Amino acid sequence: MLHTTAAGEPCALITEIQKYTIHDGPGIRTEVFFKGCTMRCLWCSNPEAISPGQQLGVYPEKCQGLEKCGLCMRVCPGRDLIEHDGSGPVARVNMGELCKDCLRCAEVCPGRAIRLWGEKMTVPQLMKIIEEDRSLYDRTGGGVTLSGGEVLVQWEFAQMLCGACASAGINVCVESALNCPEEHMRAVLSTADLVITDIKHMDPDVHRSLTGSGNERILSNIKCLHAMGKKPVIRTPVVVGYNADEGNIRSTSRFIAEELHGEILAWQLLPFKKLGTKKYASLGLEYPMSDYTPPERTEWEPMIMRYVDMIRNEYGLPAFAGSSDIINV
Amino acid sequence: MSERLTLTSEENVRLNRDAYKNAFLIDTKPREIEPWDKEWGVAISGNTPEPSPFPRINRILSVTKKTTNGFVSPERAMLVTQAYKEHPGEPQELKCARGIANVLLNTPIYIYDDELIVGCLGCDKKGAPVHPEFGLNWVVDEMRNGLMDYSEQRTHDYFSYTPRTQEELESIRGFWDGCTVQDYTDSLVTEELVKGSHDGKGVFFADAYVFCGAGHLGIEQERLMRLGFGGIADLIDEYESKLDMSKPGDIEKSVFYKAAGIVNDAASAHIKRYAALAREMASAEKNPARQEELLQIASNCEWISVNPPRTFWEALQLLHFANAMILIESSGHSVSYGRFDQYLYPFFRRDIDTGTSTRAAIQELIENFYIKIWDMNKLRNHVLIKTFGNGGIGGPAMTVGGILPDGSDGTNELTFMALDAHAHVRIPNPWLAVRMHSGTPRELKVKIANTIRLGTGEPKIFNDDVTIPSMLSSGIELEDARNYHVVGCVEPDVSGKEYGWHDCGHMNIARVLELAINDGRCFNCGPSCPRWAKCGATGSCLGLRTGSLETMTSFDQVLQAYDEQMKYWCDRLVGYLNAVDIAHMAVRPLPLLSILMDNCVESGKDVVLGGTKYNFSGPQGIGIGTTGDGLATIKQLVFDEKKITGKELLDAVRANWEGYEPLYAYVNSDRVHHYGNDDDYADELTKFAMDTWCKHIEKRPAAHGGFFQPGAYSVTVNVAHGRNQWASVDGRKAFEPVSDCMGAVHTRLGSHDVRGPLAILRSVTKLDHARATNGTLLNWKFAPGSVSGETGREALIALIEEYIHRKGMHSQFTVADQETLIAAQREPDNYRDLLVRVAGYSAYFVELDRALQDDIIGRTSLSFD
Repeated sequence: MLHTTAAGEPCALITEIQKYTIHDGPGIRTEVFFKGCTMRCLWCSNPEAISPGQQLGVYPEKCQGLEKCGLCMRVCPGRDLIEHDGSGPVARVNMGELCKDCLRCAEVCPGRAIRLWGEKMTVPQLMKIIEEDRSLYDRTGGGVTLSGGEVLVQWEFAQMLCGACASAGINVCVESALNCPEEHMRAVLSTADLVITDIKHMDPDVHRSLTGSGNERILSNIKCLHAMGKKPVIRTPVVVGYNADEGNIRSTSRFIAEELHGEILAWQLLPFKKLGTKKYASLGLEYPMSDYTPPERTEWEPMIMRYVDMIRNEYGLPAFAGSSDIINV
Repeated sequence: MSERLTLTSEENVRLNRDAYKNAFLIDTKPREIEPWDKEWGVAISGNTPEPSPFPRINRILSVTKKTTNGFVSPERAMLVTQAYKEHPGEPQELKCARGIANVLLNTPIYIYDDELIVGCLGCDKKGAPVHPEFGLNWVVDEMRNGLMDYSEQRTHDYFSYTPRTQEELESIRGFWDGCTVQDYTDSLVTEELVKGSHDGKGVFFADAYVFCGAGHLGIEQERLMRLGFGGIADLIDEYESKLDMSKPGDIEKSVFYKAAGIVNDAASAHIKRYAALAREMASAEKNPARQEELLQIASNCEWISVNPPRTFWEALQLLHFANAMILIESSGHSVSYGRFDQYLYPFFRRDIDTGTSTRAAIQELIENFYIKIWDMNKLRNHVLIKTFGNGGIGGPAMTVGGILPDGSDGTNELTFMALDAHAHVRIPNPWLAVRMHSGTPRELKVKIANTIRLGTGEPKIFNDDVTIPSMLSSGIELEDARNYHVVGCVEPDVSGKEYGWHDCGHMNIARVLELAINDGRCFNCGPSCPRWAKCGATGSCLGLRTGSLETMTSFDQVLQAYDEQMKYWCDRLVGYLNAVDIAHMAVRPLPLLSILMDNCVESGKDVVLGGTKYNFSGPQGIGIGTTGDGLATIKQLVFDEKKITGKELLDAVRANWEGYEPLYAYVNSDRVHHYGNDDDYADELTKFAMDTWCKHIEKRPAAHGGFFQPGAYSVTVNVAHGRNQWASVDGRKAFEPVSDCMGAVHTRLGSHDVRGPLAILRSVTKLDHARATNGTLLNWKFAPGSVSGETGREALIALIEEYIHRKGMHSQFTVADQETLIAAQREPDNYRDLLVRVAGYSAYFVELDRALQDDIIGRTSLSFD
């Protein structure tokens, strides 16, 4: 899906640009989050990046209140689309059928209590921001990481951005679930320096129940990546009660050892952190795992460590706990 | 858990670095000799029971930590008074010498269990002496009003005292009435100087040295180690013998030499008293090992009372005595320890090479020495402690690392051991500074990063590549500049050669902007002001009439008004500070300090009269970010975009933004150019705000000699200045803190810097650090996740390297969980050992004033995991 600006230039919908990230690829990186996703993971912590279109987020704590401000109500062309808590702060924006997506409320809100998720950005605009930290990329072997959502939903733009980075000599890492047509993947990853991808579960049915999508295409794409000669970083979010059983870890290990011949840079087992609750609320969405209580650190930490030891000793794979170890590219 | 502690696989240890909260997973067990890449965990701070590998150190630490407050000790005051009374007609210099000599010869002394380094301030652990020469009334008044001991108004840094102590101090009150530095200052300052001062409307504070000595210096350690007190005595004799008493100048010098001789003899005698006490204790000691230690302490003290030290132990002991005696002489803040790893290195090298001592034994001595610094204390009034939460003597900085006078890198084993010693004691003393430069070795960078990640806030980083050129611009010679050390919180200084009067005052430049755009009037001008009758009511105003934003037609007029207003207030600040300086010159010469400084004996002149090589006076500019954002807001909204009129903006601020909520939210949003985001629009105006301050301070003559040097840091007085100030145009509500040091603005509505640490770094380094010759400071605050693990360590190192490369002068780091800080506010008893960076120094978080805690919590947390 390729978006264009009012002037007809190709652009992407970007939810956020995070500077100084140190966990998604080597060195200090600038991470660009693309909007739109092909999966619906129960534990998703970036719900603002799921829907492919522009969205409004509402932050009542930043609102001055209807009585003291109320600028949003004045510009909204519809009725009852913006709800306030009495005369106090904004409570929600009903982006239903009646909303014309004019986004005027977000434009005028002085304190960004109503904010836009999915700003349109062109390649030159992004490159300007990416270039700002170039001296730190050079110092640390860092670069830019394209993430999301699912970056490959906007694969045409991602391809252009990868090309621009390559010409500028900036290292590009693509973090993708690879749940996409193979040709989209090939188009983008041929110019990327590094791929980070997930194996969330080995059983297609369980995978579907956890992420809303089967894993056949993902695993096939990972094998294809291997055939392209790319060594990815594999990640598994370890969510106790969902995919953290030893059987799943073992079948994932076998897949990597047998199908990929163990040719990966690293396999990072990431402890689950319940993040994003506030974001769900700001979007008026229900957090699918709102009732889930993650186990105590004293419980999951030894488990992850045991898996790491097991994977290393029994399968000879470069497993790591967390994402804080330097990846030798 | 015990199984994890015995992790043997190097790989397992490495794999677990992500677990920053569970330090036991990493091999953080302290060792006597630590590897250069030792990890201490992330954000652990002082929350660990036995940090040192040495049982002795852990024992001393536990006793010292338990002693949370000491007693007011009247002996010093009584002994000084006695000496002054016995010599009423003598010159001030001699009276001062007789006073301090009487104290050194007769004040009580103590040696505690286990300790290897001895010496105190003439009072028990954490007790504090009284210095009536600077001002006695406030001490007695605090006692009379119940404000010295624990009360609701004083929940930390409180002092116990006996009724007898109060009686004794009351008894000498009359004697000192009218004779103190405070009294002398009061007689010099005019209403014009007072109106905007700490005693008036608080545009500036000039009272730092009204109640105490100036401090903020280091002695010439290398010279003391070379000469010993015996050598200094010879030097005094040599110069005294050359005098020609027919010359009036030489008569004055003879007074100085007589005073110098008296204090030098007293210093030797004071150290000998410790030798005698140690011998006496040894004879009563049952434990043969301790008995031997006490005899060694006695022998060390006996030798160094006159002679230059021979071993590391003796050298460290002499250093401790010298600084303690200076603190007994004058209650100055930030008496610092100079380049610790340089002047002690020859002793270390010789001990190791000759087998006299071991690295482990020397490590233990350093750790003991750190805790000895923490033993000493100082009286402060109940108001001052609200903004200064560190307690103790305050400001005992110690510098390691950096280049040598010949330009080569000076990193050595002691550099590493000094940092390890901090990790082994985790107390707020000394205030460690590490000098870095483009050639700092990788191993030291790792050691620094790992110490920072521990989360105690130590050490601070100084950049040689900008500090040295800055000092050269003040006329300091190249070799001296390369040999600088850091004094107290922030200030670069030449130890033993500089009487810099660093941190003598500070001005809120955000207040200057307020007066500049409001025709010299405060925003909240009205009958509730205590000065109303003689100011507003008469049609007058506080500042210079520089016009109102309502009628200004171009932004240049705003800048010009700010410039003129700044000159007006700098004139008054400089005037007040020079009055205090003159009072010190007249009332309180410091003969003991003088003999430990370069050139005073040679010139026959006391240090307070300008006897040493370099002299300056260094006040700070406060609220740089607040002023920069204020200027940017005016320029953008009133002149460039014409979104509002000048009158509307002034009305909004006068109303404390009430009724102007949309504008208030807008001004605080990212729609307005803000300093700290690598946005030239705001950064250039912030640079102008700071440069204008520097321009009107730099190179003005200082009373004791030399000239004024501007500084650009607030430490914590941004909170106090904020309390004094109504709302401001940058979106700050009334009485909120102004921005800290060189940091960006954070108001109740949010942080103005929203683009991450690298944007801050670039904004801050656009300011001219070298011009602020009295020092600058940037506080960083990291969430533990963003510096944890290998990747976190390497990113932190890269960030520091970039700051050095971009010519930032000075940085300090807080590594703490926002949640932990908030929890500590709620349940202080569970977080007693949570040591955090404040600004310029570290302090126990739970002992800070609530407003200061909030200010630290409010600083933008750089979290990216």
